[in-house]
Amino acid sequence: MLTIIQNTFREALAKKIFIGYYIFYAIVILIMIFLVNMDSVEGVMSLADSKMLVHQVETGFLTISWNLIIFFSLISTASFIPSMLEKGTIDLLISKPISRPMILISKYLGAVLFVFLSMVFLMGSIWLILSLKSGYWDPTFLLSILWLTLAFAVMYSIVVIIGLTTQSTVVAILVNFFLIFVLCPLLSVREAVIFSLVTNETVKFVFDFLYYLFPKPGEFRDITTSLINGEQINMWKSSVNAETSTFTISWLSPISSALFCLVMMAYSIYYFTKKDY
Amino acid sequence: MHVIETQNLSKEYTAKFSKQKVNALNDFSFNVEQGEIFGLLGPNGAGKTTLIKILLAITFPTSGSAKLFGTDVGNHKAKTKVGYLPENHKFPSYLTGEQVLNYYGQLSGMKQGSDMSKRIDEMLGLMNLTQWRKTKIKKYSKGMMQKLGLAQAMLSEPDLIFLDEPTDGVDPIGRKEIRDILAQIKAKGKTIFLNSHLLSEVEMICDRVAILNKGDLIKEGNVDDLTKAENIFAIHTVEPLSMELKQKVLGIDPGAGIGEREINTEAGIDKLNGIIDSLRSNGVMIQTVNQKTSTLEELFINVIKKDNTN
Ligand SMILES: Nc1ncnc2c1ncn2[C@@H]1O[C@H](COP(=O)(O)OP(=O)(O)OP(=O)(O)O)[C@@H](O)[C@H]1O
Ligand SMILES: [Mg+2]
Repeated sequence: MLTIIQNTFREALAKKIFIGYYIFYAIVILIMIFLVNMDSVEGVMSLADSKMLVHQVETGFLTISWNLIIFFSLISTASFIPSMLEKGTIDLLISKPISRPMILISKYLGAVLFVFLSMVFLMGSIWLILSLKSGYWDPTFLLSILWLTLAFAVMYSIVVIIGLTTQSTVVAILVNFFLIFVLCPLLSVREAVIFSLVTNETVKFVFDFLYYLFPKPGEFRDITTSLINGEQINMWKSSVNAETSTFTISWLSPISSALFCLVMMAYSIYYFTKKDY
Repeated sequence: MHVIETQNLSKEYTAKFSKQKVNALNDFSFNVEQGEIFGLLGPNGAGKTTLIKILLAITFPTSGSAKLFGTDVGNHKAKTKVGYLPENHKFPSYLTGEQVLNYYGQLSGMKQGSDMSKRIDEMLGLMNLTQWRKTKIKKYSKGMMQKLGLAQAMLSEPDLIFLDEPTDGVDPIGRKEIRDILAQIKAKGKTIFLNSHLLSEVEMICDRVAILNKGDLIKEGNVDDLTKAENIFAIHTVEPLSMELKQKVLGIDPGAGIGEREINTEAGIDKLNGIIDSLRSNGVMIQTVNQKTSTLEELFINVIKKDNTN
């Protein structure tokens, strides 16, 4: 198992796209350095001020880049499954004394671990820059490493299932693009946008149903920012306070997303165990 | 216990968007014993690769069962002592030759350490790849890839090795080396299962062969028995034979075929010696006496032709 994980790392490092991925990260980090410089030239700030500023910068950064980071991570790992399934590669892998579920789980964990370490690198650097510049050391921002990895892990289960059934990297990336940038954001604002247009209860129900069915990578971000800003998180249902117009997220989205991921992986394993290669 | 044991294996492929079915294997039963080099022959599409894949649980049979070392192939532990060289194998192209062996060795259950690196050195040396060990395999030639594949199959010193066209793309010298290596492995009591089209080669190294055509087992037996089945002897003389002598030979074996300096007889050892005595007592110098064997290739073409006309 460790061997497969290790080799998945090698594969990731050997991919050209990986270089592009890190150049992107480096640029993001440089921009951060630049921005934070501008902020702190304004003079010496009180601790409370700098705390608020840091939280604002962090929240802003996460809001802008969250989906992009997940999508880049998916692109850089989407080819693992199709390339494993190539004729002449998969034969040899299965001929080894390892069970098929173990092969698939190792590949999956290899990708997740790889992204986790990339996140440690990216978010760790940004956190270090912010902390050094502001003098305010607050580790809650590092929670984004965990939540980004979890959001990736959920979305990667879709890559796995599409990779297994179609052996196509492109299809997996396209479907994920659609989910991350179109469907999921749309579903999460369904109450504000769609429901104001349609009144039909059945249509509303379908949208609600889809919302709870599909994973919600974007709401992992809201959880993260809420945690950073020390805001309250509801247990089951997100709510909007009409007076202050503040939005309170709930734990429901990570829970339903995790269930989605489990079902996807269970079906992938079942499919992989039964298939002729 | 048989090393390989199959019972009534059948495999039917169905094309996805049509009703057309391919019977890749029909009710195939056979055993392979320890220490044998077993050759599986057959024209393209006969089902040879399909059989190996079923034995390694890469593909599942439509019906029937198969065991390796007495363990059902569905259990991945059955593959603990097995090596495999797939046809057209593909290693991760970003690895070097050495890393490939390291990776697959570990997947076969070898522990990283000095024993393993010693074994890798040994295999690279055996395959003449030592100077390429640090080169990325995308720069390897076809024959080098094939040799590396073989090294990979033999690395963990498995008790049973499946080779799907092992000499494909390898030059004559390399092929000779591979034959020698296979003989060494056999001498250690290991079992080898070989798929090949190169019949002269199979004839040289295999103990037993099975011939497969369109999924059916049409002939099986020891290589020696199959090729020496016909009892034909040929006598060659130094000088041309006189008419008188030819008559005498026909007196001993009326069915003999007689040429200018050649006599062919199918009448058995006694008559053969009778003819030789008669020739010698008449002062004829004999150059050679041979038992004619049909080559495996002749046999192969004959049985496939016969099977296809049925
Ligand atoms: N995945 C598959 N789906 C459908 N048909 C297949 C599949 N794999 C093999 N076949 C069919 O099964 C038959 C046997 O194929 P197989 O690869 O076992 O032949 P082979 O004896 O190894 O041939 P070759 O000498 O060319 O390697 C062929 O008719 C082939 O078309
Ligand atoms: Mg074949």
